[in-house]
Amino acid sequence: MMRMLQLLNGPHDLGRGRGFWSGMVLLAAAFLAYPTIASSFSATNVAYYLLNIPMALGLSLLWGYGGVLSFGQVAFYGIAGYTYGIVAGNLQDFAWGTEAGVLAALLAAGLSAAAFGYFLFYGRVAAWIVPILTLVLALLLATFLGLTAGYQWRVGDIQLGGYNGMTGIPALQIGGLTFQDYAFFYLVVAIVAICYVALRIWVNAHRGQVLMAIREDVLRTELLGYDVRLEQLRVFVIASVLAGVSGLLYVQWGNYITPSAMGLQQAALPVIWVAVGGRDSLLAVAIATFLLNQLTYILSSGGNQSALVIVGALLVAVMMFAPEGIIAGLGRLHWLHWLRARRRAVPSGPASSGK
Amino acid sequence: MSGSERIPLSRREGGSKVLPELASILYQFGTNAAFLLLSALGLIVILGMMNIINLAHGEFMMLGAYVASFAVHRGIPFPLAVILAFFATGAFGIVLERLVIRRFYGRELGALVTTWGISLILAQGALLLFGPYMPPIPIPGGAVSEGVFSFSVYWLILIGISIVLVVALTLVYRATPFGLQARATMQNPSIARSLGIRTGRVYMLTFGLGAGLAGLSGALLAPATSIAPFMGQQFVAPAFITVVVGGGANVIAGAVGSSTFLSLIETPVSLTLGTFYGTMALLVMALLIIRVLPAGISSLGARLRPAVAR
Amino acid sequence: MVNDAMVNDAMVTGGGGPVLKAERLCKRFGGVVASDQIDFNLERGEMRCVIGPNGAGKSTFFALLCGILPPDSGRVILKGRDVTHLPAFRRVRMGLGLTFQTNRAFHALTVAENLETARRASASASGAADDAHFRAAFGAFDLAASSHLPARELPHHQLQWLEICMALRRGPDVLLLDEPTAGMSPGETMYTADVLKTLSREGLALIVVEHDVAFVRKVAETVTVLHQGSVFAEGPVEVITQREDVRQIYLGRTREAAA
Ligand SMILES: Nc1ncnc2c1ncn2[C@@H]1O[C@H](COP(=O)(O)OP(=O)(O)OP(=O)(O)O)[C@@H](O)[C@H]1O
Ligand SMILES: [Mg+2]
Repeated sequence: MMRMLQLLNGPHDLGRGRGFWSGMVLLAAAFLAYPTIASSFSATNVAYYLLNIPMALGLSLLWGYGGVLSFGQVAFYGIAGYTYGIVAGNLQDFAWGTEAGVLAALLAAGLSAAAFGYFLFYGRVAAWIVPILTLVLALLLATFLGLTAGYQWRVGDIQLGGYNGMTGIPALQIGGLTFQDYAFFYLVVAIVAICYVALRIWVNAHRGQVLMAIREDVLRTELLGYDVRLEQLRVFVIASVLAGVSGLLYVQWGNYITPSAMGLQQAALPVIWVAVGGRDSLLAVAIATFLLNQLTYILSSGGNQSALVIVGALLVAVMMFAPEGIIAGLGRLHWLHWLRARRRAVPSGPASSGK
Repeated sequence: MSGSERIPLSRREGGSKVLPELASILYQFGTNAAFLLLSALGLIVILGMMNIINLAHGEFMMLGAYVASFAVHRGIPFPLAVILAFFATGAFGIVLERLVIRRFYGRELGALVTTWGISLILAQGALLLFGPYMPPIPIPGGAVSEGVFSFSVYWLILIGISIVLVVALTLVYRATPFGLQARATMQNPSIARSLGIRTGRVYMLTFGLGAGLAGLSGALLAPATSIAPFMGQQFVAPAFITVVVGGGANVIAGAVGSSTFLSLIETPVSLTLGTFYGTMALLVMALLIIRVLPAGISSLGARLRPAVAR
Repeated sequence: MVNDAMVNDAMVTGGGGPVLKAERLCKRFGGVVASDQIDFNLERGEMRCVIGPNGAGKSTFFALLCGILPPDSGRVILKGRDVTHLPAFRRVRMGLGLTFQTNRAFHALTVAENLETARRASASASGAADDAHFRAAFGAFDLAASSHLPARELPHHQLQWLEICMALRRGPDVLLLDEPTAGMSPGETMYTADVLKTLSREGLALIVVEHDVAFVRKVAETVTVLHQGSVFAEGPVEVITQREDVRQIYLGRTREAAA
């Protein structure tokens, strides 16, 4: 237990010590208290801004900590969403139908990532090939699902629905509790918190160090006796299951999914959240994901067509002028001052992950 | 917002009723190879030189199509419009290289992400500026109006143009001062620099050439598709797969070898199962290829492994 | 992994024969023949120096031995087992350690984390995780004091020492060092030589690529001279360093010397 807390407090993310964690607890409490002052509509909206965080954290782990970039995490988001829709939809009459759907969805995301990742990582391809081929995978999945209009495209009772997508996806039910409205909000908050804590422990534990070692120098790591291919495949599967978690939450939120969830524009978004936040800080990525989801929602709900131009420009600007990310950059500034004041020692600067 | 839905290209339909079976298959094969080559050429030129993948490649093609459409509807003949598209997109590429891309040499993943941002800006920007559609370009030499057959004539021309492009590119690399400098820089930038080659300029011109080729291809393919802000998306899968399979070790051999090889796979699949499955077969092929030849088929010739023991 | 462990145990107890052996290793890069029919034997506990002018193929030879590059032909035999087709990490798990010509410790990780990463490479640690050599080197190089510093803040020679300690962390039987003292002061170089010599006396087999003649004289019994990818000479250090033809290839009169 102590060891877990130590790892949680470890150096490979922003923030440590009593003050920081008190703040985090307060933040969690604020989220938990939010439904008491908010309508179920606003609570569901906030849940929507939060539900992409697991996918973003997965990409942060993969890209920021592991140095492996993927442009196609939405493929696994979509695979999970569609699988849940099919399985839970068909098993609606059973008490455990939606739980089975969750299980099947996560399995589908994990297994498809393992199969696809095998070819990517065991060939030891150049770094640019992984993002390119994952993107192609997402696009082809979107194209394929777009072709599935019509009655002949159904699995059991559920129609895939072509470009209009799959509708009427049942909400998760455990015992007598259906996760809708406030219950859905709490579900999302709990899952996001669990994902963050677990990943922060992971990156500070041995496996996380190996991941960063691979990011810095693949060959050096292999010559310490690590099977780099396996390590990369492992983290790719984890990241993809996390994308699956977000996909699951998304279909809970809207009870539908369309192929555009895997389209080119959707595929760009996780990369933007992670880059703008600061890819080698889980916390910064989580914050950026929350804020940017809110921003795009507000921008596009006004019927404003320029949302994509704005986030695209944001991405280019960040990559050019603040490659370590805006939130992480601000955070490190703050912690630098704090540490200097306390110990008058220079702590490690932003880990340059380069490449 | 419908993702990568590929705007149906009329070339993919018909033909078989007019032409005898064998000729039809050859024709299909040729058009597929030409399509892949044209989609990928600009991309692979940039990759081979600077190890950078330009995610805005599809949008450069869109720009080329837009320029051609503008020009054609102001009375400029189509061949001239295509050349105009080459130079306009190339100039745009050079500006972009100076302002943005050159900061990312040696940071290939950074370049990848940044060019994606640029692609979003270009596509959505085109939508905001010019609306959802551009006036289409009539099929050149439009005298032939038997629908199916007129397309085949244009696509035969495109096959010819692809061959001409490959020859021209070979000449540029083999017989011009720029080509010599480019090859030297590609082999060893630091030695090239010490020999007085301005490698920064070589990079700039190569990026411009790659962008120009993308614009040229976009203009050439424009009559066969609808010209729209998001038209670039339809080229993403085929162009990137061609580049992955080809690899950057040898630009021209990679592009030609890969597009020929892939069209051999794609043609029978899309003839029997349909276009989507043809593209799917390309992805499967790419996965199998990288498993045995991680650096693409162009690495077959020059078996140079990345320098590891330095 | 089970296999590796079994082979290891057999070898550790079995002993006998060279611990690392190369048979007719060949490697060419385009037109450059970087390794040309190299035959090489390293006995248990032996300390061997490999010398040769720049571009002689020393680093390539190391890369072939540890599996970074596949040879065009020839075999590599580690502790009696043909490892020619095993990936590098498997050879490391069997008891091979290597440092690179340029320092490649993980700069963003602390010294302690670097060593921890080096220690835990696989659950089924081979070589009975004998870390006596490591502890000896770690003590001699005095790295404990900088344990919590990020590696990038270490002075150059300590960074080199850290990398040697990382390679020793899992208790290898054979250690390959590619110019370990490059950039060190003469004092540091001699100190490093002492430490390596001690390790070798305690049973570790080492191959060290080195240009520094003083270093070579100090540590080696046998010296192998590589030239244009092939073994040009091999023998006791006093003899080799006196040979006129060896001096000549270092001075660059390559053609006549080779003929
Ligand atoms: N990856 C590679 N690709 C092409 N040529 C290579 C590669 N690695 C080495 N070479 C060539 O092989 C030859 C041997 O190189 P190697 O690095 O093994 O020499 P070395 O003896 O270690 O030299 P140094 O003393 O400079 O470290 C050189 O001519 C070098 O240019
Ligand atoms: Mg060397």
